[in-house]
Amino acid sequence: MTISRILLSTLAVSAIAIVAPASAKIATGSNVSDMTVTDSDGVLHNLSDYAGKKVVLEWTNEGCPYVKKHYTTKNMQKTQALAKEDGAVWLSIISSAPGKQGYKTGAEANAWKVEQGTSLSAVVLDPSGDMGRSFSAKTTPHMFIIDESQTLVYQGAIDDNRSANPKTVAGAKNYVIAAMEDLKAGYEVAVPDTAPYGCSVKYGS
Amino acid sequence: MRALILTFLTWLMAMPAIASQSVPVDTGKVTASLVSTHDRIAPGQEFYIALRTVLDEHWHTYWRNPGDSGEPVQIEWELSDKLSADEINWPLPRTIPTGPIVNYGFEGAPLFPVKFKLAQDAELGSVVTVRANFYYLVCKDVCIPEQGSVSLPIAVGAPLEDLGWKPEIEAALTEVPKKGNIQGGIIKANSTVTISLLNLPEGDFSKAYFFPYEQGVLGHSEAQILRRGSKGLSLTTTADYIWNETIPETLDGVLTYENGETLRGAEISLAVGKSFDIGEVSAPEVKIAGATLWTAIIGALIGGLILNLMPCVFPVISIKALSIAKLAHGERGKIRREAWLYTAGVITTFLLLTILLLGLKAGGTEIGWGFQLQSPKVVAILAVLLFVIGLNLLGVFEIGSRLQNTGTKLTQSSGVAGSFFTGALAVIVATPCTAPLMAGAVGYALASPAFITLAVFMALGIGFALPFLLVAYIPSILTKLPKPGPWMERFKELLAFPMFAAAIWLIWVLSLQAGESGILFVLSAMLAATFAIWLLKRGSMITKTLGTLAVIVAIALSISISSTSNPGTVSRLESEAWSPSRVAELQEQGRPIFVDFTAAWCVTCKVNEKVVLNKAKTQKLFEDTNTAFLIADWTNKNDLIATELAKYGRAGVPLYLVYSNNSVSPVILPQVLSHDVIRDAIAGEKS
Repeated sequence: MTISRILLSTLAVSAIAIVAPASAKIATGSNVSDMTVTDSDGVLHNLSDYAGKKVVLEWTNEGCPYVKKHYTTKNMQKTQALAKEDGAVWLSIISSAPGKQGYKTGAEANAWKVEQGTSLSAVVLDPSGDMGRSFSAKTTPHMFIIDESQTLVYQGAIDDNRSANPKTVAGAKNYVIAAMEDLKAGYEVAVPDTAPYGCSVKYGS
Repeated sequence: MRALILTFLTWLMAMPAIASQSVPVDTGKVTASLVSTHDRIAPGQEFYIALRTVLDEHWHTYWRNPGDSGEPVQIEWELSDKLSADEINWPLPRTIPTGPIVNYGFEGAPLFPVKFKLAQDAELGSVVTVRANFYYLVCKDVCIPEQGSVSLPIAVGAPLEDLGWKPEIEAALTEVPKKGNIQGGIIKANSTVTISLLNLPEGDFSKAYFFPYEQGVLGHSEAQILRRGSKGLSLTTTADYIWNETIPETLDGVLTYENGETLRGAEISLAVGKSFDIGEVSAPEVKIAGATLWTAIIGALIGGLILNLMPCVFPVISIKALSIAKLAHGERGKIRREAWLYTAGVITTFLLLTILLLGLKAGGTEIGWGFQLQSPKVVAILAVLLFVIGLNLLGVFEIGSRLQNTGTKLTQSSGVAGSFFTGALAVIVATPCTAPLMAGAVGYALASPAFITLAVFMALGIGFALPFLLVAYIPSILTKLPKPGPWMERFKELLAFPMFAAAIWLIWVLSLQAGESGILFVLSAMLAATFAIWLLKRGSMITKTLGTLAVIVAIALSISISSTSNPGTVSRLESEAWSPSRVAELQEQGRPIFVDFTAAWCVTCKVNEKVVLNKAKTQKLFEDTNTAFLIADWTNKNDLIATELAKYGRAGVPLYLVYSNNSVSPVILPQVLSHDVIRDAIAGEKS
């Protein structure tokens, strides 16, 4: 056990200087607290700026096989395009810490955005993992949908086939598209919460 | 006929031996192969074949429920039509934490045994082939999906066990969790689920953990808080999304525990909506993931050190500081001896307190740090004691006078007993104060087996005594201390006033605990004590006898005080009494809630009330946000509150919880409050 780990756990045990969240997960249906994040162009975004619009959050990590599954099959790009058509804001978030798999500088992220033929609104760079932790993002991909009234209406997997095999994309139920359709039709999201699957988000320790 | 059989047997023996391990396949981070309990099997026989995976160091694969991320090991069988395969017998999972993420999986060389059956009509002398197409996600800091295919031929004939692999497969099968007699239920209340379990097998359940088969039952990365009862145990943790959907009647999974140092598992089936009475005695065992013996000990050590700066200890420490200053420019050996005696006094008292705590705990009393101050008798005796010490400091009676039983002489004489008893007194008056870092350590200690409790309290004692030991051994500090002189007499007299202040505070505490009659008794006891001092100063036998009598009266008065059932309100804020049902009600209404676990004798609590909670700014914050302010007053013994404290790994107050409207479970605030911390917590900001 390293010194820093001892110190860290001592802090955790005492729960003194830190406000320890007893529950990590944000409940679906809660109002998402505003938070300012920076994108790959250095532009600041605050979730509250998007009040009145739907916002889709996608946690991503280029090196992760599950992310690859959805990008090589263009499934993620298709979902992005549908969201864009629907007037939604799409933020792809990279919470990989520097040195960890999937970490990108602004320029790298911009290049990736074009290479992949995405139609996302911005790539949010979250190397500190603050945004990831506050949403309890566990996996890549991990999807969240926030509605016009800034309420979290969906969180979980992109689809119901929890495999890394690209062949499984066809025939899987895409939860994000389903949720967007529910919202568009004026219904509540039928499946609001699923278990995300994929690689773990590569947070710094 | 006989010839035929003989020929057949000869053929069997002559048949080339078939290896019971397939050619291993290296898929990158894992080497996989098939191994079998039998080299040769008879028609109609059952046997086991296992997928054996040898993982590179620090890499892991995943259990059937992979936890927060990952994907389970998968095997697809391609079999001769004479063979049928059962399900995978999953090895015991471990929790694998990475940052805020917790996975369920395996490291090392896990074996995945599967039961096979050969059909009755399989032809003797034939060979059946088992082929496994496997897939697993293997992760360290990155994840790699790997797959491959391995096959193993098995001969049909007289059974022949494989001496190499059979024991290993059997060992793996022994480890596989079995359905025992454990009876279990799971209920959800607000955002938490509680699992109650009865009929536990033999074993050590202090690190018990429930691995659900399904995702969404509970938060994989949330601590499972454990309580022991006389009949079973319960685990409380955070509920996940499955509870908002249609839930099956039972939720299955594996409960892991230890038996003789080895990890064991039992497959359990939890009845949804059922809660069993686990016969919870009032001393719950609490384990918060992350708290280890060492972190608790280090926390206790630092906590003990900081305890010296707490307001309750300061007067007594000052006396000690004075005696050190007196000696500072004298003999170093003497200072060291004094410092060690002081340390011995501190540690002995901590030891006695701990033994008392353990005794009470074993007796089923819900207790925690500062518990002795829940007794008005102890508060009264302390008040009288501090008052008498104050009188002594003022010079009402002399160090040399032959006073007995007051403790004053003991703390004042610079001899062996003096240093020792200053240490003891310092500990006793320190107990109402909780220093930062202490809460977690003490909470952990009280929930652990006795020797750990002792170890943590020892560390607390050592930390507490450390400053004087340092002073005694670092000469540069000593020489910086001022030279003794007449100022010392003045300073000593001055110290009487913090003593009196402390006595006043204790009397106030007593007024909340025991009402007006309590005040009457304690003040009378002080009168008796003063009278005793006056009498004992005279030399004659009669006055001495009378004096001793007065001392007895003082003590008798103190211990005759009993608590009234109605403790006064502790705060000026508009508040309500805390109860779990009230919290649930307010949550239903969607109001934010601030819960203040406090006690009149808790100085840290008082400081927070004074500096933060009772400030207009904070009251306005509560009004503006429509926050309900609930008080759980632990001034007198209250098992419900003690149980709730234990839930958060605490053994004492203060504890501050905030339920914001966008989070259903509470946030634990630091023990030293600030307006901003409360504001952020109510707003649901997780800083």
